[in-house]
Amino acid sequence: MKTSKSINTKAMIYCAIFAALISVGALTRIPVPMIPFTLQFLFTNLAGIMLGPVYGAISVSIYVALGLMGLPVFASGGGLGYVFQPTFGYLLAFILGAFVAGKMTQKEGFRNFKGYLLASFTGLLIVYILGFIYYNLLAVFVLNINVDPGLLFLHAFLMPLPGDVVSCILGSMLAVRIPSIRRQISFNF
Amino acid sequence: MLKDVTIGQYYPTNSIIHRLDPRTKIHFTLLYIVALFLVDNMIGYGVAFATLITITLISKIPVNYVLRGVKGLVFIIMITVAINLFMTPGTVRYQFWIFKITEEGLKVAVFMALRLIFLVTGTSLMTLTTSPISLTDGIEYSLKGVPGVRKYAHELAMMMTIALRFIPTLMEETDRIMKAQKARGADLDSGNLIQRAKSLIPILVPLFVSAFRRADELAIAMEARCYRGGENRTRLHALKFGRIDIYAYATTFLMIGAVILTRWI
Repeated sequence: MKTSKSINTKAMIYCAIFAALISVGALTRIPVPMIPFTLQFLFTNLAGIMLGPVYGAISVSIYVALGLMGLPVFASGGGLGYVFQPTFGYLLAFILGAFVAGKMTQKEGFRNFKGYLLASFTGLLIVYILGFIYYNLLAVFVLNINVDPGLLFLHAFLMPLPGDVVSCILGSMLAVRIPSIRRQISFNF
Repeated sequence: MLKDVTIGQYYPTNSIIHRLDPRTKIHFTLLYIVALFLVDNMIGYGVAFATLITITLISKIPVNYVLRGVKGLVFIIMITVAINLFMTPGTVRYQFWIFKITEEGLKVAVFMALRLIFLVTGTSLMTLTTSPISLTDGIEYSLKGVPGVRKYAHELAMMMTIALRFIPTLMEETDRIMKAQKARGADLDSGNLIQRAKSLIPILVPLFVSAFRRADELAIAMEARCYRGGENRTRLHALKFGRIDIYAYATTFLMIGAVILTRWI
């Protein structure tokens, strides 16, 4: 009997459960005045930190795929049409953000509060940069408009920034407290 | 609300479109997006519009459901129209104060707005007529045709299915943990951003621990039943292309052909 599994069962299930957790987190809206605060970034970031780069990225990709399939797990609904929302770039960037955050905490020495915090902020930076690029590409090629970069900067960076910074700190605190599952599942990656 | 999440946008009716193979619908949607970007005049949009109306009527989905997808994009459509309307240089049609509407601007604005609306309504037709589970099946079969990802097609689809199954469970779990912590006196609804974030820790730690416990249990259960990935695995409901799928493909290619032809009209 040939057993050539490409991904081991346990890692696969952890990825799936984490995708479900991200969906639940994105649906949980914390009522804070002025700024939109969901647990979306917190959970995608934790996926990278807890599952490692490859599995974390897979897990976030599955979350994005579920949203595109019509599940209302994104910030404002879901469905394939979400690709044409300017904020879809952030969702794609979460995948790379999780990968990088996972990669940065690969070494045991970086698995402490400081290391997690550094990885989270790097992930956040990547999310913002890629989200900004997608916003611009969509504006130029699909909508045929030239947006004022300053206005876009304000809308795309400063509005969600406080919530995301809090998410980073909270994520690092959680990553320290929750027992590591990474050693159990990461044989290959 | 808890139960609705995993149904997504699916609107069940007993129509031919609903019975189509999910692969057919996925391929149609991809080709439809490509076709829309090839359109360069109003006649092309006429073809797309006719296709959309026909599909909507056959699928027996209420029109307001199909248009619901546009609602989320109203803001971005308005911005697109406004900017294109006022910023495009050309022959001036109307002028008041500092705003001037040019003929070219009018054309571009209508064109872009229609493209967005058609893109969103067309793609939402797929998610309206296909349940997430059969879409997952369709994705699995479709990925098997892509070199490189072929090896992981089954695993990816399986992960999506597991995630679908666990979303309601984990939502219930979150709700239960929140209530349990509130019963112990946790204050979740007051304070500033940092205080609220701190009050999330006693909710998230048990949530993660219980989610991981469930994952472990599922892994043991699956391995005890000798689950070993997609290789040599058979299915209870294998996807099969039927006669209606052939008609659907023919119609799709007809539409694409018509759209491409309109470029020379």
